[in-house]
Amino acid sequence: MAEKTVVISQQSTKPIKIVKWKVREGFSVSIGSVVLLYDFEKPEKKQQLKLKSSHAGTVCKIIAQEGAIISPGESLLELKACIHPTVMKDMCAECGADLRKDDLNSTASVPMVHTVPELKVSEELAQKLGKADGDRLLRDKKLVLLVDLDQTLIHTTNDIIPPNLKDVYHFQLYGPSSPWYHTRLRPGTHQFLTNVSPYFELHICTFGARNYAHKITAILDGDERFFSNRVLSRDECFNPTSKTANLKALFPCGDHMVCIIDDREDVWSHASNLIHVKPYHFFKHTGDINAPPGLEKHENDEKEGVDLSKMCTIKDSNETENEKNNHNNEDTCDKNSDTFNSENTAEQTVESEKINTNSDSEIALKEVNGEDKSDSTIGNKDEVLDKSKIDDKTNPELLKLKNENDVIEVEDPDDYLLYLEDILIRIHKAFYDEYDRLESGEVPDLKKVIPEVKSKVLQGCKMIFSGLVPTHIKLHHSRAYQVAKTLGAIVAQEFEDDTTHLVAVRPGTAKVNTGRRKKNLKIVTPDWLWACAERWEHVDEKIFPLNSKGSKNRHPPPHCSSPEHIPNYNVHETPTQRKRSSSGRFIDTINPLMSFSTADIADMDKEVEDTLDTESESEDENAKALKSNILIEVKEDATSTSSSSGESLTAETPKGYKRNLKKRNEDEESDVKESDDEFPSTKFRRGEELGSDLDIGQESNSDGSAEPPDEIDDGEWNMMGAALEREFLSN
Amino acid sequence: MFYHISLEHEILLHPQYFGPQLLEKVKTKLYTEVEGTCTGKYGFVIAVTTIDSIGAGLILPGQGFVIYPVKYKAIVFRPFKGEVLDAVVRQVNKVGMFAEIGPLSCFISHHSIPAEMEFCPNVSPQCYKTKDEDVVIHAEGEIRLKIVGTRVDATGIFAIGTLMDDYLGLISN
Repeated sequence: MAEKTVVISQQSTKPIKIVKWKVREGFSVSIGSVVLLYDFEKPEKKQQLKLKSSHAGTVCKIIAQEGAIISPGESLLELKACIHPTVMKDMCAECGADLRKDDLNSTASVPMVHTVPELKVSEELAQKLGKADGDRLLRDKKLVLLVDLDQTLIHTTNDIIPPNLKDVYHFQLYGPSSPWYHTRLRPGTHQFLTNVSPYFELHICTFGARNYAHKITAILDGDERFFSNRVLSRDECFNPTSKTANLKALFPCGDHMVCIIDDREDVWSHASNLIHVKPYHFFKHTGDINAPPGLEKHENDEKEGVDLSKMCTIKDSNETENEKNNHNNEDTCDKNSDTFNSENTAEQTVESEKINTNSDSEIALKEVNGEDKSDSTIGNKDEVLDKSKIDDKTNPELLKLKNENDVIEVEDPDDYLLYLEDILIRIHKAFYDEYDRLESGEVPDLKKVIPEVKSKVLQGCKMIFSGLVPTHIKLHHSRAYQVAKTLGAIVAQEFEDDTTHLVAVRPGTAKVNTGRRKKNLKIVTPDWLWACAERWEHVDEKIFPLNSKGSKNRHPPPHCSSPEHIPNYNVHETPTQRKRSSSGRFIDTINPLMSFSTADIADMDKEVEDTLDTESESEDENAKALKSNILIEVKEDATSTSSSSGESLTAETPKGYKRNLKKRNEDEESDVKESDDEFPSTKFRRGEELGSDLDIGQESNSDGSAEPPDEIDDGEWNMMGAALEREFLSN
Repeated sequence: MFYHISLEHEILLHPQYFGPQLLEKVKTKLYTEVEGTCTGKYGFVIAVTTIDSIGAGLILPGQGFVIYPVKYKAIVFRPFKGEVLDAVVRQVNKVGMFAEIGPLSCFISHHSIPAEMEFCPNVSPQCYKTKDEDVVIHAEGEIRLKIVGTRVDATGIFAIGTLMDDYLGLISN
């Protein structure tokens, strides 16, 4: 765009005297801003008037000097026309110019405001604003925290659930007949936000629709204390499957002060400033309702959470039954006072199953089975994870129905936010310690600080694994190794003198037996490692002793395995690309046979010849053919050194063919180059062996021109094709 | 600016309404169809004041629907460039602020906010304020602004405003 200049001239009728310039060269001026103070030349009374700009732009030249007397019409200053640094709906927000109409293009391209994608600012302005933001954050000793909603702070379902659950919000987004949303806040969310907000500037970054995101924000943050419009929803996302693209726009000066909490890594392209949060699961059978299309994950959807649909149906069906259920439930609670949530849910389901025997007992039974299974898989973990917490709990029953005020209170064992808060505050401290240490004003990068913080968790631990890594996977490639390494532990293959931890899946292995004799060696289950990775802290090993049961959690839960790099597995070597044949024939270049190895082709040869045997002589010599086939087998065993085509020699082949092969064998021995002008395809057609990396342009040894290729007719060619086809289909 | 002008509108009526209440139905339908809409030419239709005439209905052949041409008077709100209006601040951010003048949304770039007003993101709610905190503009605050440009599209009108002129800015009671 050519830079246009505007000259502002003296507009009044009388000559004026410039008292003071209010702008300098390079200043940006918008419509109505004061350019200079002036006075009339011969004032009746002394006064200072303001001259305001009638245009927007930047001052490029001041023509008149202070104190000069300017007569009407004389020019005062030159303005460079507005470059439209801020654009709203294709309209310059500085000068009001319509950028669609006037065919003006703007430099504004960065949508810096979360909620308003139409509002764009130019690169330079974005940098300036970003820098101001960064400076402000440093001044306030804050960092930026991008918060995901679904399964990080909340869990939302569209399923039918009881209307009177505690801490569950119900809302509709799209009018009275639209689906209901039921949102449960993760336990301690408000506390978490309150505690974290002095250290972090909180932004929401979710794949939920805009309505949804704003509704949830209103629930989380009614008085806009935490997020204040910093909400980025699906509608503002550039990319439907990744949130990374928006970072550049929101933080034009780089994301070195950005920390992310999310329950999934893939949408952030496994960024190292991401804290992979343990997904929050409250409603059973519901995953992330706002997962990006095609990237839904179902890992725990059926396993974790509370199955409320059952409770709901009971409630709906009969009130008395409900009371009975309630009563029963209390009984069970009294009986085994230290049951855990999942078990209790199972009890609950059992109860409901008893009640619903007439209706869908079969389904309920299935339900119970599923519940039991989940008990066995996660119950173990819960047991150990929550032991410390449960100990000081006065009321161990986790699920109780209160009939008096008719509010169902489901207690949630999830306490992850406490750990997350601790992690975040540690990161904040590490960042600003580093910043203070640098002194020069250099800003550390959270992408380095966060892995560093994580690697201090198990610093000094030297561990070995037992039964954790399958034998066919190298230790360095195993996920357990990656987890331990990101936590800063050293993992060795065998016992060393200073080994501190033995992570064993089950007792009785050689390593465990050796380890038992060692002093100062802590033998723990893998759950210890996963718990450390989840909480980013050195969890007390006593909670995870290796007992006779061992542990079933050989694989880390998905949320605590964030490998820094994806291990390189050996890729299958692909056959080298063949060059285009010298013949230039299309059929040669795309010939599928060209990409087979020698062995493959030999096999094919054999098969083709078998077919030829059977087909050419099937009319009268079926038995003979069969015999010859057997003969081939025998011969193959006997002379494994000879080429397959040589083997097939023994088979009954068409006369010409046989002669051909025989001759070729002789030729091979003598290694005489007789003919130059034969194509590999012709050669192959005769069943000759081709080198796997055959350069077709080269002359190779072949049988003499005495053998005209027309001896093998098209029929044979077709049959070979058919045989090949069969081979393809069978594979 | 507000105008009281004559406008025309065609009402398409389903045959089920043919009966003694027909003209009543035409009137109520006019109110619902017209009030709150926006056209580029006349701006926002705020309220229908009088219905001057309901023309002869034309039955659409083959359908049974009837079209009534209606002439009515309405108060319309048409923003103009250079107009000074009172607005309510909706959102404040580092790039500027959003304000609403009834149905009209307006954006004021921070370049168009007097330089002595600084953006303060830390206080809650976020605001623009002068150093001595004499003037504090935050969400829900009332301001007077001047429109420097408007954008008319299918769904409404959007305006760009400025506070850079005399007597613009926070309205203090």
